[in-house]
Amino acid sequence: MKKSFLLLSFVLVFSCVWLVLTPLVSAAEPIVVGVPTSLGFLEGKESLKAVQMAVDEINAAGGVQVGSSKRPFKIESIDLRDAAAGVPVPEALLGLEKIILEKKPTALLVGPFRSEALLAGMDIIAKYKVPLLGTIAMSPGTEAKIKKNPEKYKYIFRVSLNVIYWVKLLGGTMGTLKNEFGFNKVYLMNQDIAWARGTAGFMAKKYFPKAGWEILGHDQYPTGSSDFSSGLMKAKGKGANVLFTCFDMPQSGVLVKQWKSIKVPALIAGFISPMAGQAAWKTFNGKIGGLMNAIFEIGNIPSAKYPPAKAFYDAYKKKYGKGIESGHGPAPSYESVYILKEAIERAGSLDADKIVAEVEKTDKKGVMGRIKFDKGHQVIYGTDPNKTAAACFFQWTEDGKRKIVYPGSLAEGNIVLPSWVKKAK
Amino acid sequence: MLPSTLVYGFANSIILALVALGFNLTFGISGVANFAYGALYILAGFAAWVLFNSAGLPYILAVLFSVLLTALAGALMYRFVILRIKGMVLSEVIATFGIGLAILELLKYLGFIGYEYNLPVFMDFSIDIGQVTIDMQRICIVIIGMGLTGFLWFFTHHTRTGLRFRAIAQDERTALSLGINADRVAALSVSFGAAYAAIAAIVILPLGTITVEHGYDVLINALAVCIVGGLGSTGGVIFASFLIGYAETFTAAYIGSHWVMLVPLAAILAILVIKPSGIFGQQKELEERI
Repeated sequence: MKKSFLLLSFVLVFSCVWLVLTPLVSAAEPIVVGVPTSLGFLEGKESLKAVQMAVDEINAAGGVQVGSSKRPFKIESIDLRDAAAGVPVPEALLGLEKIILEKKPTALLVGPFRSEALLAGMDIIAKYKVPLLGTIAMSPGTEAKIKKNPEKYKYIFRVSLNVIYWVKLLGGTMGTLKNEFGFNKVYLMNQDIAWARGTAGFMAKKYFPKAGWEILGHDQYPTGSSDFSSGLMKAKGKGANVLFTCFDMPQSGVLVKQWKSIKVPALIAGFISPMAGQAAWKTFNGKIGGLMNAIFEIGNIPSAKYPPAKAFYDAYKKKYGKGIESGHGPAPSYESVYILKEAIERAGSLDADKIVAEVEKTDKKGVMGRIKFDKGHQVIYGTDPNKTAAACFFQWTEDGKRKIVYPGSLAEGNIVLPSWVKKAK
Repeated sequence: MLPSTLVYGFANSIILALVALGFNLTFGISGVANFAYGALYILAGFAAWVLFNSAGLPYILAVLFSVLLTALAGALMYRFVILRIKGMVLSEVIATFGIGLAILELLKYLGFIGYEYNLPVFMDFSIDIGQVTIDMQRICIVIIGMGLTGFLWFFTHHTRTGLRFRAIAQDERTALSLGINADRVAALSVSFGAAYAAIAAIVILPLGTITVEHGYDVLINALAVCIVGGLGSTGGVIFASFLIGYAETFTAAYIGSHWVMLVPLAAILAILVIKPSGIFGQQKELEERI
């Protein structure tokens, strides 16, 4: 009898302790954020590191307030490989579905690298109702789909630059080149992928002819191409003033080397991913002075005129011992963690629909400017980071510095032509 | 436009020949289609980069060690993997392709992702050939490519080891009866092929940056050249290099650069339909293989 009483008491005490502790245990249960992207590419790798940095900061400060409890973020990542040449979209989608089903994330960050994969993956995201704050894929096709069927696709947001704002940035920069140097002959070279094709196509059809530019040629290169000599020889032979470029593959660095070796007397202006980071100066032996390259989100470059961008860049450099090398991805990826945190806290819940409703209301000043979303769930870009998100153009100086030259609100100096490129007026 | 196409087409052809020589050498002698070839090429590039930039070795030593390391990797691959499945063609392909994938993914895992990996050019200036400006690195590639082809011919015709290579290529059983160790010669041939891949990497990679993904392109290019030329035929490799090299350059110049990457694949398809053994692929005429 005494033995049975003791056993019963033990069971009761254990049950009470379990009941008391259970809420505490679940209070510490992490909020899973999935990072499905091309981790084998610099933009993906650094974006994941930026997400990790924000998560570390948030967790160190106590975590995310969900209702009455504080919960930490936990990152689960998967390499979609969609940026690699020859990887079909369905393979990337398998990875996207896998992370959703296996890791049960509250939200997805960064997302597919290629717009082709994101556009196709929108139905998977809608099916499982997981909010996605994308920071790399750029095709405005996503906004069109969201606007057409907002209830279905409301879970998809883009925190980074899209092709429409990219074209506006290019238009402003090309206008400056025309006004200041009289340039009006352009040769277009781009990678044959959705965002670059869309950009170059739009510039060729809509912008350059209307703005009084003569298009001397237009070459498209498949991902993985590593010889650009024929295009450069054509550009040189036809007397181009500007080489307009759009590339996000590692091999595009060859283009710059060939530009130098063939001595093409035209200014390169556009986006070549290997040229975006500070390490490019050493990689290309200091022979990229004069080249103009875009940075899709400030913060990926330290801007002296916008302190939050510089603070983020410096903090990243301090944490990882090396500055950001990619011109696209890390800053919005970092920002997206805070956007998600604030949305969850305002919603007081991990319910996807409630989180989406709160993300839509986002209005915050972040490392890439002020963050607000439009009806297509695209972050709004402009030229003043105090009013909107901002991208910029910088120019490599002859002493190896990246000097922001556009837009005016961020400019640290004027565009200077390399010695072998002459004014046209 | 035509002069520049001809000049750059010539350089491009030699690049293709350089890329394919090692693959062809290994197949011609040991009969092993080394599908880890592209990975060994990239491994050599990264090894040279690490030895030069991180270990601080003089560049010439970094190059030497990377070639030796790659050759050693080839020999070890033969000794511990290929030897056990020798003769089973499909298994050889699967095993070597698997090793190649493992090397490339390991490089990614070790953090070789980004744009900062490149090797220095041998001479950093350009020259004019008529109206065509071309960088000295391409000139170096042409000279080294022709030199390596000549060396290969000399080695296989005038050295003891080279003659053993040819003996095994011609008739393994007869070679065995003459006391030639077929496995050792085959291991040497895989090692030689890997060393050729390493030399090609050291010479060609300074044109751009070193990326893991480039390993797949190298393998495809090597395969295309060897299949079109005739697997195992050095003369075929040279001929096919010029055929594909010029086809690529003319396609870029006159049709459209986005079609260039289709050229080697189209060439493989065409030759498999028209002459499956390749232009110079005469299995009986073994003298031509080397």
